[in-house]
Amino acid sequence: MTGFVVRRVAAGAALALVISMLSYTLLSIPHIDVARQLLGQGAAQELVDAKNAALGLDRPALVQYLDWLAAAVRGDFGTSWFTSENVLRAIANRLPVTLSLMAGVTLVTALLSLLLGLWAGVRRGRVDRFVQILAVTGYALPGFLVTLVMVWLFAVELGWFPAIGYIGLEESFTGWLSTVTLPILALSVGSVAGVAQQVRGSVIDVLRQDYVRTLRARGLPPRRIILRHVLRNAAAPALSVLGMQFVGLLGGAVLVEQIFGLPGIGSMTVGYTTRGDIPIIMALVMISVIGVIVINLLVDILIGWLNPKARLR
Amino acid sequence: MKRTAAFLPLLALLAACSGTPSQPGAPAEKSLAIATMTLPQSLDPKDANGSALPFFQAVYDTLVKREPDGTFSPMLATGWTYDAAMTELKLTLRADVTFDDGSPFDAAAVKANMERFVKGGGAQAKTLNDVKTIEVVDATHVTLKLAQPNPALLYYLSDAAGLMANPADFAKGEQLKTQPGGTGPYELDQGQTVIGTKWVFKRTAKYWGTRLPYDTVSISYFDNETAIVNGIRTKQLNAALIQDADQQIAVEGAAGVKTVKQDFDFQGILLFDRAGMVTPRLKDPAVRQGLNHAIDRQTMLDKIRQGRGQITGQVFGPATKGYLPELDTFYGFDQAKARELIKEPFELKLPRIPAIVSDALAASLQTDLAAVGVKLVWEDVDAGSAIQKIFRDRAYSGMVMNMGQSPADWVVVGELVLPGAFNMFGYSDDTVKKLLPKIQAKGEQADLQALNRHLVEDGWFLPFYRMTYLHVSDGSVTITPQDGMAVPSIYNYAPAG
Repeated sequence: MTGFVVRRVAAGAALALVISMLSYTLLSIPHIDVARQLLGQGAAQELVDAKNAALGLDRPALVQYLDWLAAAVRGDFGTSWFTSENVLRAIANRLPVTLSLMAGVTLVTALLSLLLGLWAGVRRGRVDRFVQILAVTGYALPGFLVTLVMVWLFAVELGWFPAIGYIGLEESFTGWLSTVTLPILALSVGSVAGVAQQVRGSVIDVLRQDYVRTLRARGLPPRRIILRHVLRNAAAPALSVLGMQFVGLLGGAVLVEQIFGLPGIGSMTVGYTTRGDIPIIMALVMISVIGVIVINLLVDILIGWLNPKARLR
Repeated sequence: MKRTAAFLPLLALLAACSGTPSQPGAPAEKSLAIATMTLPQSLDPKDANGSALPFFQAVYDTLVKREPDGTFSPMLATGWTYDAAMTELKLTLRADVTFDDGSPFDAAAVKANMERFVKGGGAQAKTLNDVKTIEVVDATHVTLKLAQPNPALLYYLSDAAGLMANPADFAKGEQLKTQPGGTGPYELDQGQTVIGTKWVFKRTAKYWGTRLPYDTVSISYFDNETAIVNGIRTKQLNAALIQDADQQIAVEGAAGVKTVKQDFDFQGILLFDRAGMVTPRLKDPAVRQGLNHAIDRQTMLDKIRQGRGQITGQVFGPATKGYLPELDTFYGFDQAKARELIKEPFELKLPRIPAIVSDALAASLQTDLAAVGVKLVWEDVDAGSAIQKIFRDRAYSGMVMNMGQSPADWVVVGELVLPGAFNMFGYSDDTVKKLLPKIQAKGEQADLQALNRHLVEDGWFLPFYRMTYLHVSDGSVTITPQDGMAVPSIYNYAPAG
């Protein structure tokens, strides 16, 4: 297992390096005049040129990238060109918001989809059809519509939750819970629908296996068969989907963060990318890459733990 | 079904358990929560610009204060006088003002600030281009010597160019960008502020000037008006500016919400290419007049902005001396006349920035112009590349813009008539050349109105309408709009009485 983890971490580091290079190359294609955006349309060209020089944009892209890489390796990601904030501090301020959403959605998705999937897979018949309709509906509903309706109903009309803003966990647990509940529920609708279908399918497959029939023939209680044997084997594919959804949530969080006015890194990524704020974008890319690598590694380890046959040597 | 029905009470229970979040504006004990869609790039005065001004007004004072109606009153400067030639402006400064560290605000600080502002190369640095030298007479007197008269100078001194920071901070690298140091009514609360998201300003212990009504002012950044409207409706935000007509309608009907209307930006096509460099046909004033007759302004206003605004044919706003009410309707919608004036069909290529040109606006203009033989071709450009293509490459004959209507006539002239960003081909004509020196030296109303009338008659621009913006509050705040700014000054908020 240690060797596996070391190999995956090394592969991850190589991947991060390649992606950083590709990202910087794409960002360096001069389609955005950063200095002119900063100085305004009316700025004289010599001022724009001076600003470009001050930002280091007058140098070849390769030199800029190597400088960035050398600083990044030392943990220095610089300051935002557009807000002058320290990049790491800016991201550290926003990361807990998005992580709260991602963790919350993953938890809600894991619990609900497991329950719904198991219920449908084991009971079949009308229950199965009901869960399937529920899942298809949840999947088909546009995310923005679900979010807008939730804000309107539970925040604006009923006043149960705040409509906007985020309160840090360190500030107040109840405050944090109140600000993330609606966004988590809004994001969970689609993901529960997807994972529940996956769990249902896996449960049905496992229930058809010979060893389950054998266990039944040996007289093991149905509850024990489901919880100890079926669930364990059916969970692996669902876990893979859940892992992918967790990573994908970074993109999905953008809309929810915008509608709820949450200062997370989803909306930050969109805002700073359209402006061409390279220091911020590169740091966000690196964090995303590291996140993907870590999540995939964790999912592989968990799957190995659940199913010894899947363990890699 | 029963379980589904149980979902709502469950949510209610969760909400009750989680308690009420700390709402920035709700307790309202002398705190004000403002929402903005402007992201300031720094809090260093040299980077101050446009609608970011309230961020700066919280921590810095300006030399001259601009009142809500656009008139000027003393602030750090108690008085000012021009010489006869309008090339020397003498300022008398307050003697009792100190910066945060106790160092005095004086004439040397004014000189240091203004020189740094010009050298800093910020978006507004050009506003002091006419200032040749800054002469310190004594601690409380400073003289600005101008290369030529600049009728907008006092306006600029009430804006970004007049913001005064502590010169002691100039040597501290980039510190002012995130740790501002001025003489203003508030100081930035570093502990509560998350730059890029929310700036919190707390009252300065010893402020020399009039005490503002709020102990704490927070300005939160949002990238969409939906969240702002929801924040106002739930009283998490106290005040905001809403530009989108649909959002205005959404917020107007909400219980407790107070609104104040203001016409500020005009929307229209700025025709840069009056010399016909890119589209030769635009050289002919008759063609430009034909374009003005071809568009159905009132229908556009009704359909695109739900009638929220006022059609216009002029770029001078109602607060200027050059404004003439009859020019708002100078060009009636008359496609037969437009065809007569345009004569030959031609193609007009314009950049389309989605944030400014909506689908409805793009289609409406295409339809109206096609009816008079002009094929309007939209080229999609993103906000980043647009600036390069339009202003640097000069690839288009014009562009649709939302332009703020300054109350200062010379600001309008400087932005739209003099060679520069929005007159990038440097076009002028005999009438303009004759009027400009007179206006620059004396700024008389008759000359300004003559200039305005000429610009309209000659089809320099293709304005559609002035857009009505809505200042909204959750009911706890009275907002006074600021002439010449879409967003109110920080001084223009007061508890609702």
